[in-house]
Amino acid sequence: METVLDNEQFVKRAFWLVKLRWITACLLIGITYVITQYFNSTPQEIPLYVIGVLLLLYNSLLYLALRHLVRFHDRTLNRAINRIVILQITTDLLILTVVIYYSGGVENPFFFYYIFHVIISSMLLSRLMSYLQATLAVFLFGLLLTLEHFEIISHRPIVGFLDINLFQNTYYVLGMFIVFSTTLYLVVYITTSIVFQLRKQQIGYKLLNLELSKKDRIKNEYLLTVSHDIKSHMAAIKSCLDILSTHMAGPLNKKQSELVERADHRAFKSIAFLSTLLKLTQMRLTGKIEKECFSLKQCIYNAFSAVEQKAECKAISVSYEIYVKKDTVFGSPLLIEETLRNLLLNAIKYTPENGTASLSVTEDNTFFIIQITDTGIGIPDDEKDNIFDEFYRARNARKVEKDGTGLGLSISKEVVQRHGGTIWVSSHEGAGSTFSFTLPKYKDA
Amino acid sequence: MAAQRILIVDDDSDITYAMQMILEGHGYQVDSAVNSATARSKMEQEKPDLIILDVMMDTMHEGFDFDRELKHHPEYKDIPVLMLTAVKERFGLDFKPEAGDQEWLPVEEFLDKPVKPAVLLEKVEKLLGNKR
Repeated sequence: METVLDNEQFVKRAFWLVKLRWITACLLIGITYVITQYFNSTPQEIPLYVIGVLLLLYNSLLYLALRHLVRFHDRTLNRAINRIVILQITTDLLILTVVIYYSGGVENPFFFYYIFHVIISSMLLSRLMSYLQATLAVFLFGLLLTLEHFEIISHRPIVGFLDINLFQNTYYVLGMFIVFSTTLYLVVYITTSIVFQLRKQQIGYKLLNLELSKKDRIKNEYLLTVSHDIKSHMAAIKSCLDILSTHMAGPLNKKQSELVERADHRAFKSIAFLSTLLKLTQMRLTGKIEKECFSLKQCIYNAFSAVEQKAECKAISVSYEIYVKKDTVFGSPLLIEETLRNLLLNAIKYTPENGTASLSVTEDNTFFIIQITDTGIGIPDDEKDNIFDEFYRARNARKVEKDGTGLGLSISKEVVQRHGGTIWVSSHEGAGSTFSFTLPKYKDA
Repeated sequence: MAAQRILIVDDDSDITYAMQMILEGHGYQVDSAVNSATARSKMEQEKPDLIILDVMMDTMHEGFDFDRELKHHPEYKDIPVLMLTAVKERFGLDFKPEAGDQEWLPVEEFLDKPVKPAVLLEKVEKLLGNKR
């Protein structure tokens, strides 16, 4: 099975070739200069310089053509790039042959550089095209040797380097040519085998990835169905209990009230858990959120007024400092407010009485950075990596609140990521934690 | 005859409350502990006639560990243990319904949560009656 590179990689490689050619052109000019200084003999330095300059020009054109292609072609890109790469390698082979002609022919050890072209075509092109390119290289080099050997074109030696009459030595030329051509074909054979093996693997990974996301989707749908089903039962239970607890079905004695209250509280917890799980799963499944422009400051004010009472109950002082002028974010104000509230409530929950919880907003060029710092119980070092996983709860957190859902931070992470931001934590167990997250600034056109 | 003492070891206060209400209503003297450490100290004060034991408390297998510890304890090894848990489905463990794999899980009785009051009472009576 012939496998091809995908567009993105192909484009990358095409530009990479252009980059290599800049270096080659400069090296050609540089080496020509050094050699003419050192051997101070060669009359053919002018053509070499000219080739160097032409190479630079040709490369500029290629660069522009590639940029144009990437910008304006979409579906036909792969084929177009393929053609350009073939053109590049073919031209490079021709240029190399001319350079070698002007710098000693068979006496110039730079003819080994044909191998690079062959390796590159084996990496980028089809197997057949790679063998064709190798054949072209063999043909060009063979042609050069033949024409020089039979003095159809004049030999242009580097005087003072090697025996300038090597080109006339039939055994030498023939031997060199045979070794050269077999080397090229072997290189194509070896390189294409490795490259195609790798490409096959790459395709395998891609398929596997697809398979995994399909599985993940099935899992999420399953989770959605199950939690929704349980939630509807719990909702029914809660509705019945509500009637009892509000004495609408008649008065209850103390024991009965206590039982109903306990049941009602558990039903409430369970429904809250299922709702969060449903929301998280829903978000993962659709991957979409409704976005609009909104004021981050307003979100912060709302979140603070929602948690103030809880903080007051524990005598925890809460404060915020906002160091940004413009505060527009493009996203879901509801979800961001919920995230802020979540993180603030965590800070309050896991901070002992008389502690502090503070929020700050700073910015860099592209992001707002929101940090929520508390003087709470902190997170054990070995658990920091896990706390954003769903259902995970740190050891010391479980002691503070036994029946937390373990979903708060996972949903916060999901929300932040959906907004193009990142969330992280720094913490010392016993000293407090800082939860930070970024949100991209909205840039009005 | 003095009331028989039952110790409930479970970290779920609602479950404990409900069972306590059922058992006390039938004349048992009930005490509770939220983990094995508390249970140990309560047992030192007063030896119970029966222990009702949960599995997942501070650790996932605290109940199993505590049970084995009791069964190797010279003073406590004769106290019947009723293991009452929702752990079975969570881990797909295959318990013998009549309980008492003496090697692996040496308990006298095993019940799944939630348990009906009548069933709880029946098992408790059986365990305490057996002992008598």
